[in-house]
Amino acid sequence: MATTSKQGTGRQDQAVAPARAAWTPPPVVPVVPPARPPLVRPASGRVLAGVAAGLAAHLGVPVRVVRIGLVVGVVLGGVGAVLYLWLWALVPSAQAVPGVDAPAMPAGAPTPASASAPASVRGAPWAGPPAGRVGDLLVGGLLLLAGGALLGQRFGYDISLSIVLPLLVVLGGAVLAYTQLDEVERSRWASIAGGSTRSAVLRVVAGLCLVLIGVVLVVVQGDLASAGRVLVAAVAVLGGAAVVLAPWGLRLWRDLDAERAARAREAERSEIAAHLHDSVLQTLALIQRRSDDPVQVARLARAQERDLRSWLYGGDPVDAGSVAAQVKAAAAEVEDRHGASIEVVVVGDRPADDRTSALVAALREAMVNAVKHGQPTSFSPGQVPVQVYVEATADGVEAFVRDRGCGFDLDAVPADRLGVRESIVARMQRHGGGATVRSTAGEGTEVRLEMPADPAEATA
Amino acid sequence: MSGPVRIVLVDDHGMFRSGVRAELGAESSIEVVGEAADVPTAVAVVHATHPDVVLLDVHLPGGSERPGGREVLHACVDLLGGDSPVRFLALSVSDAAEDVIAVIRAGARGYVTKTISGPELAAAVHRVADGDAVFSPRLAGFVLDAFGAGAGEVASVDDELDRLTQREREVMRLIARGYAYKEVAKELYLSVKTVETHVSAVLRKLQLSNRYELTRWAADRRLL
Repeated sequence: MATTSKQGTGRQDQAVAPARAAWTPPPVVPVVPPARPPLVRPASGRVLAGVAAGLAAHLGVPVRVVRIGLVVGVVLGGVGAVLYLWLWALVPSAQAVPGVDAPAMPAGAPTPASASAPASVRGAPWAGPPAGRVGDLLVGGLLLLAGGALLGQRFGYDISLSIVLPLLVVLGGAVLAYTQLDEVERSRWASIAGGSTRSAVLRVVAGLCLVLIGVVLVVVQGDLASAGRVLVAAVAVLGGAAVVLAPWGLRLWRDLDAERAARAREAERSEIAAHLHDSVLQTLALIQRRSDDPVQVARLARAQERDLRSWLYGGDPVDAGSVAAQVKAAAAEVEDRHGASIEVVVVGDRPADDRTSALVAALREAMVNAVKHGQPTSFSPGQVPVQVYVEATADGVEAFVRDRGCGFDLDAVPADRLGVRESIVARMQRHGGGATVRSTAGEGTEVRLEMPADPAEATA
Repeated sequence: MSGPVRIVLVDDHGMFRSGVRAELGAESSIEVVGEAADVPTAVAVVHATHPDVVLLDVHLPGGSERPGGREVLHACVDLLGGDSPVRFLALSVSDAAEDVIAVIRAGARGYVTKTISGPELAAAVHRVADGDAVFSPRLAGFVLDAFGAGAGEVASVDDELDRLTQREREVMRLIARGYAYKEVAKELYLSVKTVETHVSAVLRKLQLSNRYELTRWAADRRLL
C-alpha cells in the first residue's frame, strides 16, 4: 500500500512539472498537486480491459466522456483503437504487485498527450521494461504496427485489403487470448480461485480459431480450393507443436507448483520457528537461570506448557465472552500465581453474563483454596492436580472443584476465616445460585457451585 | 490372573521410558518385558513378546500415517482378540480430541495423559489388563460433550450406540470431576465391578458409535 501511494506522488510530480513550466506558477501559495490516483486498470467497472475506467479515474473525467472520446477516435481513422490497445498493453492491472508495475508506470503515464509511434520509441528504452512485461510490449508493438498501417492507408499509401483483413483477424484472436492472459494474471495476484474457467477456455479457443482463420486467409489469398488443404496443414502444424511442447509446458507448470509449495512451507516453518523462539527458548533460558528454585521452575514450565498447548491445539475458537473461556482464564491465572497445576474439563458452553461471571469469581476463589490448602504434604506442589469440572448448559452452569488435600470440617472453621463462607457461598447466593462444600478428612474437599440460568432469559 | 502383568513400553522419548520403567519397576505386580521407540520396532516387539498390556504413545515416529500410535494398533489388530488378547493403553501429552478418538477407535482400551502419577499408572495398567477401560477426567469430559450428555441427552434404551444411559452419564460426570472408580462406586452406591462395566460400555460406544460429533473429528483427519 505504501509503495503504491509513493508511486502515485512521484508520478504526479512528473505530470505536474511540465504544466508548471507552461503556465506561470502561482508566486506565493505552494502548489498542492491534486490527489490523482495512479494510472492503473481497475478490477471493477471494466467493459473490455478497464483502460477507459482507469484513464477516467486518473484524469478525473467522467468515464462516459473518455469512452465517447475513444469511440470517436476509432471512427476517425482508428486512432482511438490504437490508443486503447496501446494503453491496454502498457498500463498495469490494479492488482499487479507494486514491484512489477512500478517500472511500467512511467512508460504509461505521459502517453495520454500523444499516441504517435515516436513517443513510444522514445519512451521504451527510458522506461526499461522488466522481463515480465516484454510480452506485453511485443503485443503493443504489433498493435502499433497495425495502427500505423491504418494511418498509412488513410494518407494514401494503399495497402491491399487482402493483407490487412487477415492481419486484423489475427490481431483479434491475439487480443482474445491476451484477455485470457490478463485474467490469469489478475486471478493470480488477487488469488481469486475458481470461477470462470469455462469462459476462459472458451476465450482461448475462440482466439486460437481467429488466429488460425487469419493465417489461412493470409496464405490462401482468395483461392478457395486450396483453403481446405492449408487449413489441414495449419491444424497439423499447430497440433504437432502442441504435442512437442506439451511435456515441456507441463514440467514448467509442475516446477512452478513445486516452487510455490516450497515457499509456503518455508513461510510456515519460519512462523513456527519465530513462535518457538519467542516462547519455548525464552522459557528454557529462564529455567536454566532459575534452576536452584524448583517452585519457580515448575511455575515457568507449567505456564509455558499451557501457552504451547493453546497454540498447538487451540483449534476450538472459544471467544472471550464465553463461560468456558472465562473458566480457563481464571484457572490459568491461579496456576500462575500459586505455582500449582489445575486440570480443567469443560463440557458445553454458553455466553457469559452477570450470573456466570459471579460463578467464575466464586470458582476462582475455590481454586485458590484448593491450591493453597488442598495439597497433600507428602507430594511436592503441582504433583496432584486440582480437578475442575464445569458443565454449562442452557439451564445453567454447574461447577466442581476437587482437591486431594487433608480436608476440613466446614462448621469447625472459625468465623473470622471468610474465604469459603463469604466469597464463595454468600456470593453464589446473592446471585441466585448455591454452593455446597463437602470435605472428608484425609480424602480431600469438593466444592460444588450451581448457578441456574436467569429466569427472565429462559422465558424470553 | 497369575504372575505379574507383562507390559511393553512404546514411546519415542527415552527419558520418559526410563521414568516409567523406574516407577512401574517398583511394583512387583508389573514386569516390563520390552521397549520400542518407533512404529516398526513397536509392532515387532509386541508380536515377539505378546505382552498383557502395551503402554502406547499416541505420537510415534517411523510410521506412514499419523498419529503413529494408531498405526501400531492397526498392525497389531490380530492380537487384539483371542484368548489372551494384548490390550493397549494410550498415553499422550496431547489433549486434542482427534488424537484421543484415533487411538480409542483403533482399539485402545483406555487413555491417560503423561502427567499421571506412578501409582495411578500402575492401577490403570492393572485395570486394562483385567479387560476394563480406563478414562482420564479429560476423556470423560470429551465423551460427555460428544454424546450430548452435558446438554442432557440420554438414551432410552441401554444398547443405543449414539447416546449414554443415565447411569453412564453419572459415572462419566464423576470421572470428569476427578473421582477414582472406587469413589464413583461409593458415591453411586454401586460395586466397583458395576462401575467398570459402565465404563466399558461407554468405551464400546465410543468405538462403535457413528454419532456426528465423533465421526466429524475422525472424518476431518481422515481417520476412518
